[in-house]
Amino acid sequence: MTERREVAIVGGVTTKFGVRPCTWSELAQEVGAALFHAVPELNASDVDSLFVGAAEPERFAFQSHVAPLAAEQMGLTPRRILQRTELACASGQSAIRSAYAAIASGLSDLAVAVGLEKMNLPSMAEANTSMACVMDRLWDGPAGATAPPFFAMVAQRHMLEFGTTEEQLAAVSEKNHRFANSNPTSQFHEKTFSKDKLLRLPLVAPPLRLGDCSSMTDGAAAVVLTSRESAQRYTQTPAWIRGTGQYSDFHNLANAGSLTEWTGLKHAAREGLRSAGIRSTDLDFAELHDCFTISEIVEYEAIGLCAPGEGGKYAEEGRSNLGGDIVVNPRGGLLGCGHPLGATGIAQAVEVYQQFSHSVPPSRQVPDPEWAMVHNLSGSANVHSVMIYSREAS
Amino acid sequence: MSSAKSTLRRRRAVTAPLDSRPTEKAETARAPTLRPSRPPPPFLLDFFPLESAEQTRLSRFYQRLREGRLSTTKCRTDGELHWPPRTACPVCHTTTLDWVDLPEEGRVYAFSAVLAGAPLGMEPDLPFVVGLVDLDGVGLRIFGRIEGAPWQACRIGQRVRVESYEAPEERVFYRFRVVDRSS
Repeated sequence: MTERREVAIVGGVTTKFGVRPCTWSELAQEVGAALFHAVPELNASDVDSLFVGAAEPERFAFQSHVAPLAAEQMGLTPRRILQRTELACASGQSAIRSAYAAIASGLSDLAVAVGLEKMNLPSMAEANTSMACVMDRLWDGPAGATAPPFFAMVAQRHMLEFGTTEEQLAAVSEKNHRFANSNPTSQFHEKTFSKDKLLRLPLVAPPLRLGDCSSMTDGAAAVVLTSRESAQRYTQTPAWIRGTGQYSDFHNLANAGSLTEWTGLKHAAREGLRSAGIRSTDLDFAELHDCFTISEIVEYEAIGLCAPGEGGKYAEEGRSNLGGDIVVNPRGGLLGCGHPLGATGIAQAVEVYQQFSHSVPPSRQVPDPEWAMVHNLSGSANVHSVMIYSREAS
Repeated sequence: MSSAKSTLRRRRAVTAPLDSRPTEKAETARAPTLRPSRPPPPFLLDFFPLESAEQTRLSRFYQRLREGRLSTTKCRTDGELHWPPRTACPVCHTTTLDWVDLPEEGRVYAFSAVLAGAPLGMEPDLPFVVGLVDLDGVGLRIFGRIEGAPWQACRIGQRVRVESYEAPEERVFYRFRVVDRSS
């Protein structure tokens, strides 16, 4: 077996997330232009590969074959690997994982991973239909299965089995919205959500309220990846990919098993940490997939930050906040930033890069971070994707 | 024409194991339930499946459902009971599967309600209850719509019964109905 090359993210950028009055292609142009500003040493002709994380452009933009479209809009002419990656809510991380594999193997020397989604349409029912086809459409679809009722059932079971409360769910939302408050790219920038306000928002899928759910969001993000040989050309603060893990064991909701014990995430996190040679207690911060407040709570437990059933208390006691055991979602999370499916995983990686280079506002800067985890779930938490980053190469 | 014929032949050949019981094979042959006179809504914006033997090798499922029977496939080789019904066993990877009826009742394992944000065509149903139901005694927990009580009156452990209902364009699907609100 040939030696695996070390791979780093050497720069990246996130567009404004929110309800954006523009097309999918215009988002691609915007993120392309922004990337070349954010990484001044980047030459288009040196980018040999492009990976495009896009979950449902066929649905939301009625556009297929999006990889060459994104390349054209961004002003890139890939000559080695050009592909779209689709893994629903984890499509962005999939683009990074694919770029990582390409560079580690030597097939690519300089790659861009871009993620983008344009979700806000004149007809919300059409957008909801698009979100519903992430589920097993033949069997779960006709009943009206979408993400909110599924994660609501997770919350209901967690409340029943462990006594988790609505206030504990709101603690997650309050924390992530507070971080998003000082993130100018977030959908809910400069918006304040107190716990009281969150608990008064309308129910969407009981027990989940509006503030427990991430939103329909337009946005894009891009990162540049290269090997150890070239990293210093682009930055003095590379974010090194040190470990990965991924796991999937079901798709139809009937095969989910326990709703509160996410065994897939246990496997993915264990493999990610093992391959990086660290423990969960070594992590300084984590970008966890808080598509719903309950997701973040179950994730604390599955990753091993706290004991099973203790996730609600963990949030409530501030142990996942600045000054706690670990900072979770200093970017503002999906709850605060919004969740443009394909862009989310890339934006999380941009946050890791910026945290390591101390280029985020002080109100959400993790003190001297060395290790970070990025996690995305997709669908009904039936796939878990984990990456471990370090500010040092191995 | 010749290519259409060969497609048909190929499809019959692979379908055979599922229809291994002669009586069922005969029924499958006259399966189509879609009437060409009335085109269905665009398939890609409609969650109800295309149920005819022209479109799925599991059309028996929908035929049996029409008779009020919720059924699924069971692997003849390793005895694995599947949900949803399948054409190949995911455990032993053989394709000789039998149709078996499932219990008519079960208990709610978890539920929620969709109060907003319904997919196209389901807006008139709002608010509606969905849940995971443990079917009695078979170790299957299946998802579906729950009718017969508002979400505020539903609870975990509630007994529900399976029923079939007419879906748009001559189709049929299953759902659950609350058996006893007070138990």
